[in-house]
Amino acid sequence: MLSRIPLVFPTRKRAVFSLVFVFAAVAAVATIGLNRRAQTTRIASQSLMTAVFAAQQPSSKLWPVSIDYPEEGSIFPPGITPPTVLWRDAAGTSWNIDIFFADKTPPIRIVTGGERIKIPPIDPQAVSDSNKPPTLTAQQAATWTWTPDDATWATIQAHSVAAPARLVISGTRDGHNVLSQAQVAFTTSSDPVGAPIFYRDVPLMPTQGVNGVVAPLAPDQIHLIHWCLRDIRKPASKVLLKDMPTCANCHSFSTDGKTFGMDIDARSNDKGLYAIVPVQKHMTIEDKDMVHWNTDGVISTTRVGFMSQVSPDGRYVISTFAGGSHDLRDSYYITNFLDHRFLQAFYPTRGILGWYSRATGRRFPLPGADDPRYVQTDAFWSHDGKWIVFSRAEARDPYEPGKPAALHSTDPNETQIQYDIYRIPFNDGKGGKAERVVGASQNGMSNSFPKVSPDGKWIVFVEAKNAQLMRPDSQLYIVPFKGGVARRLRANTRLMNSWHSFSPNGRWLVFSSKARSPYTQMYLTHIDANGNDSPPILIENTTASNRAVNIPEFVNIDPDGIEEIKVHFADKQAIADARK
Amino acid sequence: MNSPQLDSNSRAELLAAPSFELFALWRVVYRLVLAVPLLAAPALFAASNCLPPDEMKASLLNSPTADEYSDLGFWFASHQQYDCAADAYATSLQTDPAQKHADRIVFMFGSSLYLSGDIQEAIPALQEAERRGLTDNRVHLLLASALDSTHDTAAAEAEWRIALAFDPEITAGLDALSTDLVNGANFAPVIDLLDNRRVEPQRTPTQCVNLASAYARTGKTDHAIDVLRNGLNTAPDSSIIAVQLAGLLMQNRRNDEAAAVLELALQYNLDDPRLHEASGTVLARMNRLPEARQHLERAIALGDTDPAAQENLDRVLHALGAAPAAPSAPRP
Repeated sequence: MLSRIPLVFPTRKRAVFSLVFVFAAVAAVATIGLNRRAQTTRIASQSLMTAVFAAQQPSSKLWPVSIDYPEEGSIFPPGITPPTVLWRDAAGTSWNIDIFFADKTPPIRIVTGGERIKIPPIDPQAVSDSNKPPTLTAQQAATWTWTPDDATWATIQAHSVAAPARLVISGTRDGHNVLSQAQVAFTTSSDPVGAPIFYRDVPLMPTQGVNGVVAPLAPDQIHLIHWCLRDIRKPASKVLLKDMPTCANCHSFSTDGKTFGMDIDARSNDKGLYAIVPVQKHMTIEDKDMVHWNTDGVISTTRVGFMSQVSPDGRYVISTFAGGSHDLRDSYYITNFLDHRFLQAFYPTRGILGWYSRATGRRFPLPGADDPRYVQTDAFWSHDGKWIVFSRAEARDPYEPGKPAALHSTDPNETQIQYDIYRIPFNDGKGGKAERVVGASQNGMSNSFPKVSPDGKWIVFVEAKNAQLMRPDSQLYIVPFKGGVARRLRANTRLMNSWHSFSPNGRWLVFSSKARSPYTQMYLTHIDANGNDSPPILIENTTASNRAVNIPEFVNIDPDGIEEIKVHFADKQAIADARK
Repeated sequence: MNSPQLDSNSRAELLAAPSFELFALWRVVYRLVLAVPLLAAPALFAASNCLPPDEMKASLLNSPTADEYSDLGFWFASHQQYDCAADAYATSLQTDPAQKHADRIVFMFGSSLYLSGDIQEAIPALQEAERRGLTDNRVHLLLASALDSTHDTAAAEAEWRIALAFDPEITAGLDALSTDLVNGANFAPVIDLLDNRRVEPQRTPTQCVNLASAYARTGKTDHAIDVLRNGLNTAPDSSIIAVQLAGLLMQNRRNDEAAAVLELALQYNLDDPRLHEASGTVLARMNRLPEARQHLERAIALGDTDPAAQENLDRVLHALGAAPAAPSAPRP
């Protein structure tokens, strides 16, 4: 018996460790792998059925290919643009990609030399000293890709509705002998997405002023923020609104798709403007559409544009207001970081829910969600307009005296707050008793950003260890509307999952994640009648590779229902003048 | 396992970075013993290795300010003259201990010492920068690395963890901390650290091997094999992953798979003696003795000094009837 090979454990060699990572000498890798440009060939497949049949049952003797996308059990929406298949394989140098169908359709075989991931173009305007160009992770740098052409993808989609299609990747070095293999099964849903997605498209350029104060974006760069609309059947998005001189933040559409609302910053960092406009092909936000929360004097002096929601019928807006005599400074924890990946911690520590009537132009607290002992926020309407779900925690000062400033996202020195999810009847503005949603509360985590499914059966919410918004550890959970056992969504990616929105038919959820890049992207997951979801589907090409997309929201309109949004209001000009 | 060295670009970038804290006076004085004569006496410019650029000489000879010494330190550092840079930064601190960015200069001082190879001196400087609350993660990274270099593993681990709290994706931190933990047989923390979806896409070969070691040592062989296979798909040319994977497969009597892994790895690193030795060993187990002989002989020819390679070759030769003497006992 020969000596056995000892396990190789790391030995200690005490030389200095590489700090290359620290300085991120991120040479452009966008063109990595161009030397292996693929020649993709589609082969008449009928005669290959026998030959490839063996591939249906990958042998354990073959080297396992790592298929990174799509994941096993993925469900694609009908009509979505062709996805890019991603895999890694130490053994193969060219690959047979076989797609088998459960119906009588002959399998499809593609022979490819593989192409490396290419980083899409960047927006040169979004480059700054405080961010880094998008780079590939080690896995991504080793990844091979194949994107079906439109016709092939249409065939695949057409024959993967009733039962899953199986995609088998087989690696070879000589074109004949299979050395490596793996497979995934996926389906195409019969449920269309059925609506376009409105989202914000932002540069990640934190900036430090001469006074040392860090801001998420310099004032003279605010105009780089775009608002876009995406039909997932189209290869690119449409920019609806840009060149705004001031910040505009959370947006919402009424369930009927007829009314649009958006928080807008006014002069002197006054967060008190809110625009409410009818949805049209060509929209214009004008002075007559603006609500000035801060001048009505009903509840308080300062309101921050935070999670405002237009009611399903467009008659009301519900939002978070600083309660009592409190204002922005003692109601919100705000810390900005120079790390472009997670550049801000921002969440309310005080606040009440208030509702605004478009008919009367007046604003009122919502009884049952107006207790100053708590912070009440993230209000969201049930689709019948009868219920409000929201996040609640005990109110506190946003900053603890003597506590060091947080230096990065999730720093333990952040003010700690854990929200619970509650529901309350709207009751024509009379409110009622707020009830804790079991399964989305008192679980040792911070539960936030609840969204009710259109059928009223489910709430999807975010869990994180602390606070809410842009949390690296945020994960999506689903719980029955009336409470119960929460279930972690299968669609959660490795890094940050948030800003979710149900499609009007309730069968799709869009959300943002940093799974593939610090520059946030959008994903879809299918939700069935029992609340079961599927692995994440990337919506490709939503912006430049060095910009982030967030706050995606399904809009119940035709895909071309909005062509542009123009802004003409007095404050806009005043702000622009001030900036000059 | 080899620890990668700082490359020149990283060094220059590190020292170009504006960040640091004031350092203990005795240490400044210590450095000044060397620094002042070099910088203040023109006659010594020529005799010293620390020659400032011509454009700086004039200001340095005429009551230079702390900023000018710091600029000189930056210049030396950017030319990878870290000893000289340390002297210049020390002089800057001595010239004006209360200068505006003294904290950063202390860090530069400590970093220069570190990069010049004076790890023992660098540690207290970096600790001083940390003590003064400099909010720059590089303090923790350099300090952790320095502490590791002096085998102060507990202190190094604490610094790595601070650095990773700042940025959980720092490759060097994950590499070094997991190595420390594996070496200390702390396997559960290794799994906590590395079996993490956030860091998985950028897992290095070092991390793969450490995570697999942790799994293997805790009885989760299949997990270990999965990690290594996945790692090899990310880094097909990593011999260390291939050898570790082959070893695990052999331990589980999956010799044919082990042989296939090594055959694959040799396509990327044909002249790696570790791969040849492992191939020879597994092929011998499979009774493919002529091939085993070829690989073991090749391993030794390539400089494999592991006694096990020669002993295994002796055994193979004996089995082939080509060796007169009985082989020695198998090595563990």
